[in-house]
Amino acid sequence: MDSTTFPIVLSMQVAAISLAIVAPPALALAWIQARRRYRLRTAVDALVLLPLVLPPSVVGFFLVVVLGRRGILGEVLDSAFGLRLVFTPAAAVIASSLVALPLIVKTVQPAIEAVPVELEHVGRSLGLSPLQLFLRVTVPASWRGIVAGLVLGFARALGEFGATLMFAGNIPGRTNTMPLEIFAAYQVGDDRRALLYVAVLTVISVAVVVAASRLNPQPGGR
Amino acid sequence: MLEADFRLTAGAFDLSVQLQLDRGVLVLFGPSGAGKSLTVSALAGLVTPTEGRIVIGGDPLFDASQTIDVPTRKRRVGYVPQHHSLFPFRDVAENVAFGLPKERRHREDPLVVALLEELELTHLADSAPASLSGGERQRVAFARALAVEPRLLLLDEPFASIDRAGRQRVRSVLARILADRAIPAVLVTHDPAEALELGTQLALFERGRTVASGTPRDLLGAAELVVEGVVKSRAVDGSVATVTLEGATVTGAASLLEDDDAGVVRIRVPVSTTADR
Repeated sequence: MDSTTFPIVLSMQVAAISLAIVAPPALALAWIQARRRYRLRTAVDALVLLPLVLPPSVVGFFLVVVLGRRGILGEVLDSAFGLRLVFTPAAAVIASSLVALPLIVKTVQPAIEAVPVELEHVGRSLGLSPLQLFLRVTVPASWRGIVAGLVLGFARALGEFGATLMFAGNIPGRTNTMPLEIFAAYQVGDDRRALLYVAVLTVISVAVVVAASRLNPQPGGR
Repeated sequence: MLEADFRLTAGAFDLSVQLQLDRGVLVLFGPSGAGKSLTVSALAGLVTPTEGRIVIGGDPLFDASQTIDVPTRKRRVGYVPQHHSLFPFRDVAENVAFGLPKERRHREDPLVVALLEELELTHLADSAPASLSGGERQRVAFARALAVEPRLLLLDEPFASIDRAGRQRVRSVLARILADRAIPAVLVTHDPAEALELGTQLALFERGRTVASGTPRDLLGAAELVVEGVVKSRAVDGSVATVTLEGATVTGAASLLEDDDAGVVRIRVPVSTTADR
């Protein structure tokens, strides 16, 4: 693969894998926050929002502190499994997953809250297990919000810059995703190269915004 | 057969219920906020009582002393709520087939076809719930509840979202399907006429308690109490009116109010309806 297409392909791969990893826990979390009342609910709400509110460099710093070579978990992973995450494409996936999570949860949660609880009660009376209830009642009744959340999460993962730079680095041919490549090309004055990735990311982002706004539940209609 | 004797607390509300039904329809009757719907939720297993027992056909569904609490999905109760009773993303036939086992879950299943026919819904089999009238929607909800062959039907104000004209038709359809089957049913209603037409037993609810039980005719139909007085205030909630007179509060069907032009109201209420002094 040539050095021009590599960042595009890598970014797409990182965003897709991040979405695949983060979607199941994000949907579960959205359901729990929408439907369960428990003592730590507010604290969990705040914790979920944190990666969205914190500067990406702070998120990256935390990732290095926890999963870096001398990090709390990173050291264990290294000594036990020989696993070094920092400066790898896997690190880019972790950073992207973390920042995509709150966007998915916060888009899907209101969509699930809008599903009338009576539908779930009826589903339970018809013999559905909790998982069947989620898949056969909650998801079909809130799919627009769920798809909108996943699309936004994908876009956020695709555009992740700060935390990725801190945790995965900007290694050409290895971790240079499109956002990192724009920064690198701009710094060396290669505006043509920067513009290519700017164009690709802009087109994708516009498509995502249009898709999300068309999918998001309209008040009173679904 | 249904036997229930339980207590539960929901926020600041305490519910204490004794119910017994050998066959037919048990009507839960009383003003809004008296605990009727919460009782249905407890029977369905959607909320958990703090103590007591719920037994259907000899099988305990809930027994606090033996820590038995059968989950809703295993109780085999047909539940029809007042609103949002149909899955909006499925058409009529798919809604009816929804609770069937996977291999039978299709619109051509003989039971689905028969239920659509019985509830006069065959011509609407392909329709979306949003295109149905309130009465048609509730008939679909009855068919779907019956498709899973429940041991008990729980009907939480199933006629409340239906216009007056459609209500009578759905009521007679329900009376017919219940008479054709030996399934006991619990029906929540504010409407004395509904209670008298459909009920074989009636439990009267007041502020979270069952205060009387008997046949609907004994409790609602036999005697009449006429309260007359000067109105201090009145509030109408659906078909139920609460009127405060000098020294008395009366709650009853709004249709039983008679006003005269001097600000005096006459209320003909069955004796069982709340009259607190």
